[in-house]
Amino acid sequence: MDTQNIKNSLFAVSVVTVFTLSAPAYADGVSAGTLIENTATATYEDGDGPQTVDSNTVVVRVDELLDVTVTSLDGGPIGAAPGEAILTYEVTNQGNGPEAYELTANPAVAGNDFDTVIVNIAVDTNGNGTYDAGVDEILTAPETTQVLEADEALTVFVIVTVPDGVTDGQASDVELTAEAATGTGAPGTVFAGQGVDGGDAIVGTTGADDSATGSLIVGITTVDLTKSVSVLDPFGGDSAVPGSIATFTIVATVSGSGSVDDLIVTDAIPEGTTYSDETITLDGGSLTDVSGDDAGEGSDSSGISVDLGTVAGGTVRTVTFDVTID
Amino acid sequence: MNTFKKMVAALLVVSSSAIPLTAHAQSGSPVALSGDVMAVETSVDDAGNTSTQLVEPGVIVPGDRLVFGTDYANSGDEPVENFVVTNPLPSAVRLAPDADPELTVSIDGGETWGTISSLSAVTIADEDGAMRPVTNADVTHVRWTLASIAPGESGRLEYPAIIR
Repeated sequence: MDTQNIKNSLFAVSVVTVFTLSAPAYADGVSAGTLIENTATATYEDGDGPQTVDSNTVVVRVDELLDVTVTSLDGGPIGAAPGEAILTYEVTNQGNGPEAYELTANPAVAGNDFDTVIVNIAVDTNGNGTYDAGVDEILTAPETTQVLEADEALTVFVIVTVPDGVTDGQASDVELTAEAATGTGAPGTVFAGQGVDGGDAIVGTTGADDSATGSLIVGITTVDLTKSVSVLDPFGGDSAVPGSIATFTIVATVSGSGSVDDLIVTDAIPEGTTYSDETITLDGGSLTDVSGDDAGEGSDSSGISVDLGTVAGGTVRTVTFDVTID
Repeated sequence: MNTFKKMVAALLVVSSSAIPLTAHAQSGSPVALSGDVMAVETSVDDAGNTSTQLVEPGVIVPGDRLVFGTDYANSGDEPVENFVVTNPLPSAVRLAPDADPELTVSIDGGETWGTISSLSAVTIADEDGAMRPVTNADVTHVRWTLASIAPGESGRLEYPAIIR
């Protein structure tokens, strides 16, 4: 019986058919404990007509693969100063079964300018990606995560103390290691009977452990303000007489490798003088006295204020304003 | 003739109790199918040559390779005709990319059939709705067709699979 033509025409029809995939999608491998069952069925014709016969069913159970990855979630070195600093990592169960992981933080990484002191390892209990003291669970020794399902990722915080005496620009790495609680070893190492449903567990390509390094860089940033005054009298000289205009200059110098946030320069109007409206300048550009439309605001009663926002180390900003001597 | 058939059937019952895994004859059926599964173990010798062996499945994890086999035998005294063996693939495995290109397969649950080599002309919608070519991973069933099996004839059918 030649069925080839029929087959070909069936496939020609199927070209224009949109199939829905019936097989379940397995993103990263079949779950441990899954039973793979195979049965073949034969149909045939004998003297008594069409017949059907099944094979026996063969069953294979999928064992548990132990694999894990650790990555740093910090986009780059974390700016730090003496005191507490938080490093953020992600631990992902790359295996195909539920597994817990023992965590170890190592502050003494080769090449460090200084070593931090590990305070705690915590997990992101509320899942917001940021360490919240008192909310996110601090792990107690031996620091072991909860059981992570296959492909589940957990955000982990390492809380460290940066020692006193560090200097601006010094760097330090902290290494976080996760090891499968069932065990680690060379790929292929088998832990008999320790997998899902009493199956075996086998170490995958990661060795069932992984490490990642987070970095700190010390950013000690200082702000220096220098104020000076120049006077112009009505006669073109520099005498401080009624009617003279005094120009105050405030130079803000930010030093260091880090930055400062919310830097606001304010000054009161000296007694015996009156603020000259609309005379605030920042780096030579004029600012209005009105609040909210730009960085400056000024009045005779409240004095002047210039909001410089976040200022990086190595920046110099100059603010001036005028008063008239009464 | 009928008496002789019954004698053969009686003999089969005896032999199947001795080796229960290899004979699974249903009552009255002259044809027996016996399934098995082997794992493919790859080893590298000192010279760096790789070789593969079929072994009893030990530790089995995603990515491992299995060979599902079905032995058939006609123990009757008459030929059987139009012998078609259909094997749905377990959902946890995919047909290996190097399966015989002339193997007859279905990608739609056994509705339509064709050879693997004819699949290259077929596209299906993926999860995003984009059309893509069919691969062996889309195969849901494999099938073998034998025009007839003579009395006493036996053989083996196999397909290679990889655990998803």
